[in-house]
Amino acid sequence: MALLNILEFPDPRLRTVAEPVTVFDGALSKLIDDMFETMYEAPGIGLAATQVDVHKRIIVIDVSEARDEPLVFINPEVEVLDPELGEYDEGCLSVPGFYETVQRPQRVKVTANDRDGELFTMELDGLLAVCIQHEIDHLDGKLFVDYLSSLKRTRIRKKLEKQHRLRA
Amino acid sequence: MAARRQRDCRAAAATALARVIDGGEALDIPLAEALEQVEARDSGLLQQLCYGTLRHYYRLDGILGRFLDKPLKRRDTDIRMLLLIGLHQLLDLRIPDHAAISTCVEACRSLGKPWATRLVNGILRRSLREADGLTDGLTESQLLGHPDWLLSSFKESWPQHWQQLVAANNQHPPMCLRVNRQHGNRADYLERLEAAGIEAGVCELVADGIRLAQAVDVNSLPGFADGDVSVQDEAAQLAAELLDAQAGERVLDACAAPGGKACHVLERQPQLEELVAMDRDPARLARVEDNLARLQLSAALLCADAAAPPEELTPGSFDRILVDAPCSGSGVIRRHPDIKLLRRPQDLAGLADQQLEILNGLWPLLKPGGRLLYVTCSVLPAENADVVARFLATHDDADSRSIEADWGETSGDGRQLLTTVAGWDGLYYAMLEKAH
Repeated sequence: MALLNILEFPDPRLRTVAEPVTVFDGALSKLIDDMFETMYEAPGIGLAATQVDVHKRIIVIDVSEARDEPLVFINPEVEVLDPELGEYDEGCLSVPGFYETVQRPQRVKVTANDRDGELFTMELDGLLAVCIQHEIDHLDGKLFVDYLSSLKRTRIRKKLEKQHRLRA
Repeated sequence: MAARRQRDCRAAAATALARVIDGGEALDIPLAEALEQVEARDSGLLQQLCYGTLRHYYRLDGILGRFLDKPLKRRDTDIRMLLLIGLHQLLDLRIPDHAAISTCVEACRSLGKPWATRLVNGILRRSLREADGLTDGLTESQLLGHPDWLLSSFKESWPQHWQQLVAANNQHPPMCLRVNRQHGNRADYLERLEAAGIEAGVCELVADGIRLAQAVDVNSLPGFADGDVSVQDEAAQLAAELLDAQAGERVLDACAAPGGKACHVLERQPQLEELVAMDRDPARLARVEDNLARLQLSAALLCADAAAPPEELTPGSFDRILVDAPCSGSGVIRRHPDIKLLRRPQDLAGLADQQLEILNGLWPLLKPGGRLLYVTCSVLPAENADVVARFLATHDDADSRSIEADWGETSGDGRQLLTTVAGWDGLYYAMLEKAH
C-alpha cells in the first residue's frame, strides 16, 4: 500500500469531473486500498479519488470512532429521501484546517457498485449522509467551500495559498 | 472529508493563546472554539494547557527568552505559545519529557509551520539539558508570574499579604458548590457526594458551601440538572448572606449575570415580594435565565445598564440592592489567568469611575432605611474602599454599616477577602445604608 498525495484547494485539478469506473480489476482494488490508507493517515472520514488526482468515480468512507467500518462507493448515484436540510460543520482534506457550516439534505439513498462491480443500495442519514454528499461533490468537481460566501471562500483560498508558498 | 474533531490539542491551545496574547481577547471565547475542534477526550488537557500556560506565562516567557536568539515574528506568536506550552509541560506538568517534546513538535505541522519543528525540538531539548539554571537572572515579576504593575499594586495595598495573594493566584482554583436550601441541606448533600465517590468538605465561611477535593464535571454532581446544587466560590456565597433579604422585600441585583448571587438570594429567601435581576448584556442575561430555570426559581429579568437605570424602576422602591460591579477581576486571577495579560494599569481609573457611576445611578432606587451591598472580585482598594469613600463623600443620605465578621481584612468602609491558597476568591464587600 502507499500513501497518495492529496490535492489542496485551489488546485484546478479538484475541478475535474470524474469518469465512471468500467473495469473492476486488481488495479482498482489497489487504488481503493491506497485511498483508505491515505484517508486514515490524514486523518479523514471520507476521500474521493478526485482528491488524489485520479478522476474516476470512487469514494472511500469510514465515519466510525474505531475506524473499522470501511465503505466503498463506486459510480455512486444519490437520491434525496428527505428534502429537509441539516447543518454540519464540514471540513475537507483538500481544504485543511477550515471548518464551515454547510446545509445538505439529511437522508439520502445511495446506489453504487462495490469493488467487485456488484450493485448495492444503502439508506444513509446523519454524518454518513453528509459525508457521501460531500464526496460525490468532489467527483463532480465541487468543494464544500463553494457553498460559502465568496468572502469566506476568498479568505480560505488566500490563507491556503500562503501556506503553499511557505511550504514551497 | 476531514474528521470533525481532529485538531491537534497543542496546536489548538497555541492558536487560542495567540489570540489572547496578540489579539487581546479574553481566553473564554478562543478556548470555547478550540474545545469544538479537538477530540472530546482532549478537552481536559486543552483547558489545563491554556489555563496553566497563562498562569505561568511571565515565568515561562522569561525562560524562553534565554533560548531565543531573536524574538519570533508577530505572525508566529502561535509558535511562541507552543514553546511556552512545551516548557509548561516539561516544568510544571507530569508529562514525560519525550512526550512533552514530541507533541509540541508534531503541533508545528498541525499549525502549518513545519519549519518550526527544529526550533521547537531544539529549544525544548535545551531546556532539559540546562534545567539547573533555568530561572537564573529572571526578574521578580517573571519569577512570581505577575506583571510589574500588578505586583507593585499588591505590595503597596497589602504589604503583609501580597505574597499570599501571588501564591494563591498562581494555583489551580478549588471548585466550590452551593447547596440549594430549597431542595435540601448541606449535610445531606455531603452524604450524596460521598455516595457518588466525590471527596468534599464544608466551606468555613458560609452556611451553604461545599469545597470539592478535586474539580469534577458538573454533570457528575448528584441532582445538578434538577437544581440541587450550583457551582460558586464561597467568597461569592457571602453576598446573599450579607444582603440577608427578608420576606416581603423587593430586591434588585443590578449586575446579575450569570446569576449565581441572585439565585442564592432566592434560595435563602423564597418569600420576597420580588427580585429584579438586571444586566446590560442580553447574552449574559440569558445565562441568568438558564440558571433560574435549572434551580426552579423565578425573578423579573431586565436588560439595562446599572449606571443609568430605566424609568420603569421606581425611585425608592427597593429594600435591598446588590451591586456586583464590573471590575479588574484581580481577586479571581487564579480562575481567569488571562487577566494578568489583558488588564493594563490605566484601566483601573476607568473601572473606578464606572463603579462610582453605577453606585450613583442605583442609589435613588433604594428605599429610605434600605441597604445596598457593594461587591467586587478585586483586591485593589482603587476599585473598592476608594470608590466607596468617593461615593460617601458626595451622598449625605448614605452611611456605611461596618460588616462584623471574623473573615477578611478591614479595608476602608468594607471588608476585603484576600485570595487564599486552597481557599476563597478575593472579593470586597461594603454595606451602605440610606438614611430615613
